[in-house]
Amino acid sequence: MSVETINLTWEIKSKRIVDEVSLKINQGEILTILGPNGAGKSSFLKLIAGDSTASDGEIKFDDIPLSNISIQDRSFMRSVMSQSQEIAYDFTVKEIIEMGWIDRGISDYSKDFEEAVKKISIECSVADLLEQSFNTLSGGEKRRVHFARTLIQLWRPSGSDDPRYMFLDEPTANLDILHEQKMMRLIQNKRDEGIGILLILHDLNLAAKYSDQIAIFNEGKLLEIGAPRTVLNEETLSKVYGLDMQIEESPFRINYY
Amino acid sequence: MRFFLISIISIFMNLSWSDCSMAKDSSKTVIAGGSLTEVVYFLEQEEKIIGVDITSNFPPATSELPSIGYVRALSTEGILSLKPSLILGEDDMGPPLVVEQLSLTGLDVRILEEDHTSIGILRKIECLSEVLNTKSKDTLSKIDLIKDDINYLNELAQENKESGIKVMLILNMQGTSPIVAGNGTSGDGFIKMTGASNAANKFEGWKPISSESIISYNPDYIIITNRGMNSFPDIESLASTTSLKFTNAAREGKILNEDGMAMLGFGTRTVSTAIKFAKIFSK
Amino acid sequence: MSSILSKKVHSLKFINSFQTGILALFVISTLLILVTSITLGSFNFSLQELLNDSNSLDNIVLLEIRIPRVLLAAFVGASLGLSGASLQGLFRNPLADPGLIGVSAGAALGASIVIVLGSGILPDFIFGTLILPISAIIGASLVISLLYLFTQGFGYQGITYMLLVGIAVNAFASVGIGILTYISTDSELRGLTFWTMGSFGGASWQLIIPALIIISLTMFWMIPSARKLDLLQLGEPEAYRLGVDVRKLKFKVIIASAITVGISVSLSGMIGFVGLVVPHLVRLIGGVNHNYLLPGSAFLGASLMMTADLLSRTLIQPAELPVGLITSAIGAPFFLWLIFRIRKT
Repeated sequence: MSVETINLTWEIKSKRIVDEVSLKINQGEILTILGPNGAGKSSFLKLIAGDSTASDGEIKFDDIPLSNISIQDRSFMRSVMSQSQEIAYDFTVKEIIEMGWIDRGISDYSKDFEEAVKKISIECSVADLLEQSFNTLSGGEKRRVHFARTLIQLWRPSGSDDPRYMFLDEPTANLDILHEQKMMRLIQNKRDEGIGILLILHDLNLAAKYSDQIAIFNEGKLLEIGAPRTVLNEETLSKVYGLDMQIEESPFRINYY
Repeated sequence: MRFFLISIISIFMNLSWSDCSMAKDSSKTVIAGGSLTEVVYFLEQEEKIIGVDITSNFPPATSELPSIGYVRALSTEGILSLKPSLILGEDDMGPPLVVEQLSLTGLDVRILEEDHTSIGILRKIECLSEVLNTKSKDTLSKIDLIKDDINYLNELAQENKESGIKVMLILNMQGTSPIVAGNGTSGDGFIKMTGASNAANKFEGWKPISSESIISYNPDYIIITNRGMNSFPDIESLASTTSLKFTNAAREGKILNEDGMAMLGFGTRTVSTAIKFAKIFSK
Repeated sequence: MSSILSKKVHSLKFINSFQTGILALFVISTLLILVTSITLGSFNFSLQELLNDSNSLDNIVLLEIRIPRVLLAAFVGASLGLSGASLQGLFRNPLADPGLIGVSAGAALGASIVIVLGSGILPDFIFGTLILPISAIIGASLVISLLYLFTQGFGYQGITYMLLVGIAVNAFASVGIGILTYISTDSELRGLTFWTMGSFGGASWQLIIPALIIISLTMFWMIPSARKLDLLQLGEPEAYRLGVDVRKLKFKVIIASAITVGISVSLSGMIGFVGLVVPHLVRLIGGVNHNYLLPGSAFLGASLMMTADLLSRTLIQPAELPVGLITSAIGAPFFLWLIFRIRKT
C-alpha cells in the first residue's frame, strides 16, 4: 500500500514548479524530501495533499486515483501539516486539537475521543496547555499543537489496518532541540504503527538520522531517491546546494561550509 | 422599500378617502396632519381632539395634547392606546401598513385628499365640518368669511398673473444650495394661489438646485420658510453668503421669510398668508 | 472504506456543558423577554376585555398588532445575530456585520430596483410577498460574493481591507438608492429616508408568516454546519484537509446569510450593528466554537432586538422611535471599543 505519483507535473505560467516527479510513499516508511528553497518541495506536497490540481501526471492512493476519492474520505486517510495561518478567534488549545477529530459517525470511534485527545496531548507535550488560548502560545508550542491535531486526524482504535499517510512540511520549525528530537521520535513511532510519512526538512543531519528514504529535489525535478547513505553524497549535495559538503562516515554526519 | 410594498397592498383596503359623511362618534379624535388640526381649531371643535402628530403645531395650544409622532411614521399601537373613536389624516399619513392596521381594527379612519388650491382648502373645511357635525350658525358664518377671503385673494391673484411675477419658494438650505419647490408641490400650489408663477418650473417635487439654475430661474421674489432661516442670523446674510446672491430678488431685497406651515399646510392660515404675499407681489 | 465512514451512528457535539447551560439561559431569557414584550406597550390591556369579548379592541391589538410585531422583531434579531456570526466565521473576521460590510445595503438596493422597475408589471400580492424579498436576497448574495472575491486570501489580515471594501459597497448602494430616491415621488422619498432607519411597525400575520417560515428553515439548514465553520478558522486549505468541502460550505453560508438578511431588510428596513454586537457578546460569555456561537447568537439577537423594539415602542409613547436609532446608539460605541481592542492586540 502506498501513495504513488507518476510523472507529476505542475505548470504555472509556463514555468514547471514540479517537473515529472514519480515516487512512492510506502506505508510504514519515512520519506524525506530535501532540496534548496524553490526546489518544488512544498508544491509537491500541495499536489499530493489535493490542495492544488496538477497540470499533468497521476496521483494514486492505494491504486485509486486521488480525483476519485471524496474530500471527506481523503481526510480519513491522510493528514497534512504545514505553516498555518493566524486564527481570528480565541479558540483554546484543546479545541484546536479536537478539530483534527473528524466525525466518523461511529460510536466505536466516538467513545475513544476523550482518551485519544488526552493521550496524544501527552505525547506531543501540550497536555499542560490544553485550556490556554491558542493565540497566546509561542511559535514552537503552536507547531506542537498543530502536530497533535494532525495525529488526532489519523487516530484509529488499536488493531485498525486502515491505510494512513502523513504529509508534514517542516514539522520541526521553531522547535527547541529537545522538542525537535521528541517530535522526530514520535514520527518514527507513527511509522512503526504503519503510517506512511512524507517529510519536508531543511536539516540534512536530522533527515539522515530519521528517514528511511530520502528524495532530493532541485528546480522542480526529482534528482535522486534512495536510502540516506546512498543519496546523501558529497557530489550531489554540493551540486544542489552550491556549498562545499563533507561527509563523516561514523557516526554519519554531513558538514557544510 | 417596505413603504412601497405596503402602498401596493393598501390599494385593496377600503379606506375612506375623502369620505365626508358624518362620523358616528367624533368625541375622541386623533389627528395626523397640521392643516387638519388647524381647521378643527378653526371650527372650534378642539375639545374633541385627544392626540395630534408633530406637524400639528398651530395653534400653540396643540402642544398640550399627547403627540403620536411624525405624520409619516405613526405607531398603530400608540394611536390605539389613546382609544380614539375617529382618526383624521392627511393623505401622506403613514406608513401605509399602519394605516391599514388602524382601519382593520374597525376604527373610523378618514383620510382627506390634499389639493393645493384655495378650493382645496375650502373643501377641507367643509368636509371636516360635516364629519364633526358642526352645522351651527357660528361655524357657517366662519366658513362664509373664508369664502370672502378666497374671493379677495383671487382678485389679487388675477392682478399678479397679469404682471407675470416669478417666485421661488425654498424649504431649507442644504449647505449653500436650496431645496426648492418644483411642480406639483405644496409650495408650487401656494405660489400659484398668489397669482405669481413658480420660477422653478422645470422639475417635479422638492429638489436641491444649483447656483446656475437659480440664476437661470432668476425669480423676482424668494420666499424661505422660517425653519430654513434658522441657520442664518438674518435675511441679509442669507442673501449675501449663498448662491441666492446672484438673483434679482437678492439684489433688490426681495427675499421674504414666513412660517412653513402657515404657507404650506393648506389649512385656514394658508389663505391669509397667501393674501399677505399677493399684496406684496402686487406692489 | 467509505461504507463504514458513511454510517451515522453517534456524533460528538463539540460543545461543553458550560456552554449548554449558557444556551439554556439564552433560551429562557428569550422566552421571558418575549412574554414581557407582548405584555408591555403603549396600549394597556384590560384582562376583563381580553377574556370576555373576543372582538374587543384589546384582543385585536394583542393578536393582530402586538404579537406579530414582537415575533417579527424576534426573528429579525435572530436572523441578524445568526448571519453576523456566520459571516464572521466565513470571513474569519470579527468585524463582518451585514450592515457594516454592505450586505444590508445590497439587499435594500436589490429591493428598491425591482420596486422602481417592476411594481407595475406583476400582480401586487406576488410582488409584495415574493419578488421583493427575493430581489433583496439576490442583492445581499451579490454583495457577499463580491466581498468574498475581493478579500480572498487575506484571512485574518484582511480586516481593514474588508471594511474598506464594505465602505465602497455601501457607497455604491447608497448611490443606487439615491438615484432611485431622486426619481421617486415626494411622499415615497420621505418614506425611504424613514425606512433606512428600520422599523417593525405595521407587521401583520400575512406578511410575516411566509418570512418566519423561510427564516426558520434557513436557520435549521445553517446551524448543522457549525463544526465546519470551526475548522474553517484554521484557513481554507486546512479546512479542506480536514475533510470540509470548502466551496460547498462557503456557498451555504453566503446563501443562508443572504436569505436571512434579505428577508429581514425587506420587512423591517436596515437595522444596524445587531449582527456585530450579538456574536461578540456571545463569544465573550461562553467561547468561540460555532456549535455554541450560532444558536447563541440567534437567541441573544432575538432577545436584544425585542428589547430594542420594546424601547422604541414605549420611550416616547404614543409616538415611537425608529428601532434602528436605538440599535445604532448602542452599537456604534461598541464598534469603536471593538476596533480599539483589536488594535491593542
